[in-house]
Amino acid sequence: MNKYSNMKSAIFILAAVAMCQKAVAHHSFSMFDKDTEMVITGTVDQWAFNNPHAWLYVDVTDDSGETVQWGFEGAAPPSLIRRGITGRTFKAGDTITVMFCPLADGRPGGAMAWAKLADGSYVSPNDGGCRGGADSISKWEQWLEQGITSSRDAASQ
Amino acid sequence: MHTIRRASPLLIFLLVLTGITSAQTRPPLQVVPPDREFATSDEHYAYLLEKANGGTTHTWETIPRWDGLWNTAGNNHMDLFIDGSLRGGTVKEGVLTPAYEAAYKERWRQQMEDGEVGYDRLTHCEPAGLPRWLLEPYNHEFINMPHQSYLINDFANSIRRVYIGKEHTNLPEMIGTHSWYGDTVGFWDNNKLIMHTKYLFPADFTRWSPMTSNQFELVETWELKNEGTEDAWLDVQVTMYDRHAFVNPLNAVYTFRPSPELEEIGYRVQHWECEQSSNSYLDANGKTNFYLPGDEGYKDARGTTLFPELRGQTRDPFSEVE
Repeated sequence: MNKYSNMKSAIFILAAVAMCQKAVAHHSFSMFDKDTEMVITGTVDQWAFNNPHAWLYVDVTDDSGETVQWGFEGAAPPSLIRRGITGRTFKAGDTITVMFCPLADGRPGGAMAWAKLADGSYVSPNDGGCRGGADSISKWEQWLEQGITSSRDAASQ
Repeated sequence: MHTIRRASPLLIFLLVLTGITSAQTRPPLQVVPPDREFATSDEHYAYLLEKANGGTTHTWETIPRWDGLWNTAGNNHMDLFIDGSLRGGTVKEGVLTPAYEAAYKERWRQQMEDGEVGYDRLTHCEPAGLPRWLLEPYNHEFINMPHQSYLINDFANSIRRVYIGKEHTNLPEMIGTHSWYGDTVGFWDNNKLIMHTKYLFPADFTRWSPMTSNQFELVETWELKNEGTEDAWLDVQVTMYDRHAFVNPLNAVYTFRPSPELEEIGYRVQHWECEQSSNSYLDANGKTNFYLPGDEGYKDARGTTLFPELRGQTRDPFSEVE
């Protein structure tokens, strides 16, 4: 799938998301740093497609070779299903890229905004903890080409 | 006098965030207050029952049917409590009693200054309770029978039972306590379901809205509008009484839309709870936070039961190795 068709897919999905966005959720989102966006690439360990919120667990290996598991919260399954995201969207062993707003306390977790799947397509499983969208994907594609993995780094450049 | 008041467009826009579910047009959020004031919810309900001549007796053939899946589709309750924009408005004074107003001002301060109220009681997967049940997302089903209605939200499978043509009961020898959904009696006025709910636990509207007390009671009128069209919606007119929290009774409207898109793809409502699947908790800073894998208290939603040595004891059958 080329970049253009990826973007078309992303725009379609995210337009659908915009129509069915839910932001009440069952808890506060105050634990997330919504002013910071980060991107990581790793291997899916588990996709817990459960109510009240789906969680994606991704093993990320850093430059020193240490692997840390990150946890990302998404929306509730009924909301995700409307966006075409199902219990099979993320498969253990898949390499994916996730954009997220990190936990404010620095632990390896956050609210996911969007994810780039192993086939190059984008999905947006976000709830109210982090804002995604086609503009965000477009912006981040440019940043990633420049080696940027945090909005803070982008702001300092 | 029978008056109709419109919610402000800005508030409607922001409240869309609490429940928009599809590309359907948004139901009009028009509050229809009762045609006179009442001192208590009992008085209000008795008046409506008398006005309906004791109510319509429906049979299995005539009972209004609200089949299928439904989602919340907007409400106007924030109009009652906030002056101005939800992004910069202020708490209306004199709507809540002084103690409840002070408590709400602290919630609203967090919402305005921090962008979020730090803690939500649903962190622990408390049931939504009332009035919050009226706007919580997930899926709703409404099952009407001549003698009873079931109003269901699959949020932890909250079920409100409406006992048609019955009197309230909360006898000490039976229950003798309040509960998340209290005791609801009702009657039909042709195609309108009139309900009266009492004996509720203290709850709230949302985390960024006021709290309610154990004296919160409500009279609701449910009516299916535009039946048979793509723009059908359930219109819920609510008058809320709370002698501890409200200076005067309050009127609001809540709405629900059908969710044909979920039905078309074969979505089924399933039971779920938080004991095995939620890792949110109240942290030492008084905020909602999460346990991650490795943290004490973390729950693996797809993990095993207490008997992992037995085959077939995981909650993730798709990933099991044969």
